[in-house]
Amino acid sequence: MKSLPKSDARFAPPAPAVAPLPFLTVDDLFWFLYLYPLRFLAAAVPIGLIHSIGGLFAFRARERREIATRRMLAAKCAGIARDQIPRIAGEFLAKSAIRMLDDLVVSWPSFPRKLRCSGIQGLEHIERARSAGQGAILLTAHMCASRVAKRYLAASGYPILSVRDEISEGDWWGRFGRRNLAPRRLELLRTIIGEAVYIEDRECTLKILGRLRSGGLVGIHYDGSSGTQSRPWSFLGAPRQFSTGIFDLVRLSDCAVVPMLCLGRSSDFRIVFEPMLDIVRAAGREEFIRANLPAFVESIEKQIVDHPEEWEQWMTI
Amino acid sequence: MDDHLSRATAVGGPVDARKDTMARIRRVFVKSLRLHVREQELPYAEMLEEAAILDSIAVLEFVTAVEREFGISLEPEYLKFDFLRDLSGLASYIDDRIETRDESQ
Repeated sequence: MKSLPKSDARFAPPAPAVAPLPFLTVDDLFWFLYLYPLRFLAAAVPIGLIHSIGGLFAFRARERREIATRRMLAAKCAGIARDQIPRIAGEFLAKSAIRMLDDLVVSWPSFPRKLRCSGIQGLEHIERARSAGQGAILLTAHMCASRVAKRYLAASGYPILSVRDEISEGDWWGRFGRRNLAPRRLELLRTIIGEAVYIEDRECTLKILGRLRSGGLVGIHYDGSSGTQSRPWSFLGAPRQFSTGIFDLVRLSDCAVVPMLCLGRSSDFRIVFEPMLDIVRAAGREEFIRANLPAFVESIEKQIVDHPEEWEQWMTI
Repeated sequence: MDDHLSRATAVGGPVDARKDTMARIRRVFVKSLRLHVREQELPYAEMLEEAAILDSIAVLEFVTAVEREFGISLEPEYLKFDFLRDLSGLASYIDDRIETRDESQ
């Protein structure tokens, strides 16, 4: 970056005075309740009771509902009637709150006993993909039940290596939160995420290849914005950047790609494995990306359009 | 060049064979990462480190290129950065794998 010439430095605006952080904020208080009493409660009481306090997490509900409604309208989702969007936005908020509580449920070692899976469809697609010996990438969108489903599958003999960004430290506006709650939140997230590889890790791709070569499963949320290289493609009616790393993994490892859909909540969820995507074996890297990107995006877009209330990214899209 | 390499392997001992393997790995490395350096002058470990930091897919490209070059597949437990970084160790591993493969054929 070019620095200011010395003669101009005196015209530079003075650095703004930094106000000291307050000791405690409302957000800190919310996180404290979530990370301590509610977390312990999640281990002690039945799931239904935990879900009944979901309303506690509908803070700033009206503002969030308005944002979600606006984004759903802007997304031009085929199949979502405009007059249904306010209802769907409301359901989305309720499911987001439940998802936060479900995170607490899976943070305890006893979670497999508590989860209630109402069905797994298409397991034969996974078995077929694994029998080829090159492993499979599970292509998913950020659905509210994704984490619960992945932890359930891992406990049922289908461990999934999640690929994700390093966990952020979070935004803390109070001294108490920054000092005491931030480390606790990190520890909670690491516990509930389960087995994961972080894209900032230089061995990330080697770990993924190792898992695939062992005939294992690797989970990738393809509606995220991770990755160093990306290509634009139309998504929910607007252009969006999609990481190309997944295509390099598929091209170089020869693994299968199976879309996975997770719906519901910890007390009643289902998992759907769709048939393996037909991978176009184009010769060069660019050709491979061009040939396969549309099918990958279409697969996750369909999941969202079919179940908009289950997609947890409406606030961040 | 390949004729020369195979002759050298046949005539020399294990040390020569490993040197040849190392040279081939270097060549694959330069080619797969599209580097503009002479293989002999290549600071292999440093450049692999740099490539991994910039783009971890580059490491994957390199691994699969090595596998194609030698007709082997690295076992999952050897897919470790520190292992790949050790050129001599990697060459020994590849020679062992080739020997095992040839014996079983």
